[in-house]
Amino acid sequence: MGEVILEMKQIDKSFPGVHALDHVDFNVRRGEVHALMGENGAGKSTLMKVLTGIYKKDSGSIIYEGKETEFHNAKEAQDAGVIIVHQELNMVGDLTVAQNIFLGREPRKGLGIDDKKMIKDSRELFDHLKIEIDPMEKMSDLTVGKQQMCEIAKAISHDAKVIIFDEPSAALTEKEIEDLFIIIRDLKKRQLGIVYISHRMDEIKQITDRVTVMRDGTYIGTLMTKESTKDEIINMMVGRIIYEDPKQQSACPPDAPIVLKVENLNAGKMVKNVSFELRKGEILGFSGLMGAGRTETARALFGADPKQSGTIYINGEKVDIKSPQDAVKYGIGYLSEDRKRYGVVVGRSVAENTTMACLDNYLKGFLINKRAEKNVSDEYIKRLATKTPNSEELVMNLSGGNQQKVVIAKWLARDCDILIFDEPTRGIDVGAKNEIYKLMNQLVSEGKSIIMISSEMTEILRMSDRIVVMCEGEIKGEIDISEATSENIMDKATRNIS
Amino acid sequence: MGKLKQNPIIKQLGFNRIILFLVMLFIYLIFCVLIPNFLGLSHVMSMLNYVCFLGFLALGVTFVIATGGIDFSIGPVMFCCALISGYTLNQHGVPMAAALVICILVGTLFGGFNGYMVAYWDVPPFIISMASMNIAKGLASVYTKTTTVSWPQSADPGGWFRNFLKVGNVPVGLIIFLIAAVVCSVILNNTKPGRYILGLGSNREAVRLSGVNTKKWEMIAYIICGTLAGIAAIFFAAAYSTVQPGYGDQYNNEAIAACVMGGTSMIGGLASIGGTVIGTLIIALIQEGILAMKLTKDVQLIITAIIVIAAVYIDVSARRRKN
Ligand SMILES: Nc1ncnc2c1ncn2[C@@H]1O[C@H](COP(=O)(O)OP(=O)(O)OP(=O)(O)O)[C@@H](O)[C@H]1O
Ligand SMILES: [Mg+2]
Repeated sequence: MGEVILEMKQIDKSFPGVHALDHVDFNVRRGEVHALMGENGAGKSTLMKVLTGIYKKDSGSIIYEGKETEFHNAKEAQDAGVIIVHQELNMVGDLTVAQNIFLGREPRKGLGIDDKKMIKDSRELFDHLKIEIDPMEKMSDLTVGKQQMCEIAKAISHDAKVIIFDEPSAALTEKEIEDLFIIIRDLKKRQLGIVYISHRMDEIKQITDRVTVMRDGTYIGTLMTKESTKDEIINMMVGRIIYEDPKQQSACPPDAPIVLKVENLNAGKMVKNVSFELRKGEILGFSGLMGAGRTETARALFGADPKQSGTIYINGEKVDIKSPQDAVKYGIGYLSEDRKRYGVVVGRSVAENTTMACLDNYLKGFLINKRAEKNVSDEYIKRLATKTPNSEELVMNLSGGNQQKVVIAKWLARDCDILIFDEPTRGIDVGAKNEIYKLMNQLVSEGKSIIMISSEMTEILRMSDRIVVMCEGEIKGEIDISEATSENIMDKATRNIS
Repeated sequence: MGKLKQNPIIKQLGFNRIILFLVMLFIYLIFCVLIPNFLGLSHVMSMLNYVCFLGFLALGVTFVIATGGIDFSIGPVMFCCALISGYTLNQHGVPMAAALVICILVGTLFGGFNGYMVAYWDVPPFIISMASMNIAKGLASVYTKTTTVSWPQSADPGGWFRNFLKVGNVPVGLIIFLIAAVVCSVILNNTKPGRYILGLGSNREAVRLSGVNTKKWEMIAYIICGTLAGIAAIFFAAAYSTVQPGYGDQYNNEAIAACVMGGTSMIGGLASIGGTVIGTLIIALIQEGILAMKLTKDVQLIITAIIVIAAVYIDVSARRRKN
């Protein structure tokens, strides 16, 4: 670790009704990876946005390379070498990968843009980082994980001195995270200062040198990663220790009735002859690498994308699901992995989002019963510990993890019998994660059934009663939780790749 | 300033609405200084004529803009409604009440057509409303054989419909417009259609994946818009008596300007009926002021255009600051 390259002192920032940062101190040294941790809404993203000039601080000072500095916008920070990879993806879906990477700094040729050079440079960048992405592909055609890798590549392509990663791993597969760590280690060797925000304890242990913990907008402390334990850090974060126990055996009786049966489902390129059954009161884990076709299966099942063939039975009856509307009518709820695009309506309030899927229950004649709506929304805010000033707040003003809780609230309010949770704890802090696990267990004990798609092995092993493993659009096997290990799951998930 | 915005009363009314209201008063004051007798009854009444029909157009287009769409056909559609129903009234001798129903229905049909094309055929709203604009003009010309249609005067049989606009010096039309605005505001903020219209304007996919029939609600926004254009036509006929085929474009822009000025975002998902009402008043004020200053209609067009640009600029730059 080298000398301090960046120091933030007594940073203070308020939003209407929220004291987001309360005199926070933070510094980064050259050649270190500095973890920034804290619960959802602790103020991590806000602190980094203040640093990069996206938000204006109310008070405090920032010293960068020995000089007191204030960036007025992200461009200024970028030009000075402070680059941020945002938690929420910021790519333009209709442009190609290369166009996105060079957005706003396109290489010129005469009056136009030098497309060839742009594509060539992107390709070199990806080669250098050992990422497999075609620069000519349209951004919106990539998986969330790939898009995230593009964001990272874009950040690195700048001449950076400090790079901030705001929850980069939330959307990545284990393999992609490995790649990311190789990139980060390389950056570290080149004496860059790196800020790494994540809720995943094992990553923190693996890649970071120091950990700074925030809680409720205040600075709690900084530890050397090597000298601290996981419990110690969690304790600083939430003030209590949470135990994660993997499930030993299925909690669902083998003779429980089958609520959902999917037969030979085919859809798009990524869903091939998928068949499976879901029992009442069961959590069925869907494991596999990102791009294995799990989300596509869920979307086709839910009617969000068209299917080519396949039959679906709900409670033994054949049903025709052509649109999300049909699916919801049959009691299926789908929590998408991409909350910003498919989950929340960011421009509307928490309450409106909560009742989005079940508005009919809150109608009094023609009118919406706003009191009842506020009550139910408040109830879920309390139950999920969502951090928001009130239920009227626009969802766009919530932190990433709290937005996720709003989507969960939406489906809980709808009271579906079959819930598809696609990466339900993405971007959710340890405390809240445990709450969501508890909630899922409570839901199944009430007789609901859950399909849980997750790329986190610990989550799959901890929550599932049974695990379906997918690879390249096909189901490669089914494992009962009593026999599941991360090895035999990975083995199935990668069988035809290597 | 920041503190002021947090004041609950101001928050309830909307900070921007209040600013806009003050702007309106300011413009009014300027005209009062520049133009002798601007406070007089004749100016006020003629302004109200304008407010009524333009207001209904603006209320309607607010719903469409809230979905993130646009409708450039409302002006010509309003003319088409007034022409078809007026011609039917004069040539075929249907009762006045029936003519008024026809007038509104024509608007509803156009709204339904636009909405269907946008929601179910994925035609960009810009394109389809441009097409509808020409269809409306063409249809009206063909139907009336390109003749000007005159609606009955107050004393004529059927002239009672003018009571909708005013009875003596009582501005009935204004009262109806304000009631309609309240109803629209309730629809937008307190009912299912309004909720979904705003939601899909903000993030269509998320609303669709919540199991909502987004196509249907989007179409409904256009139907509301068309129907209100039909109602606007009644007030137009009551105010100006004669309607000529081939016109009406100018009123699209004025209605959209009123709406955007009032804080409805062109990107969708954010709408304010109160803002639309004040916006309408401002446009009517400017038009009356300019006519009273003996300037030509062209000047008014230019000024309206400048207002639209300014309003859209403020909308976009406020958004940019937020991100
Ligand atoms: N633009 C904004 N307007 C109002 N409140 C905001 C805004 N941005 C953030 N906040 C609030 O500030 C607090 C801190 O948010 P921040 O995004 O920094 O949390 P975070 O630590 O990054 O959480 P997460 O782990 O969920 O991403 C939250 O309570 C959030 O609601
Ligand atoms: Mg964050």
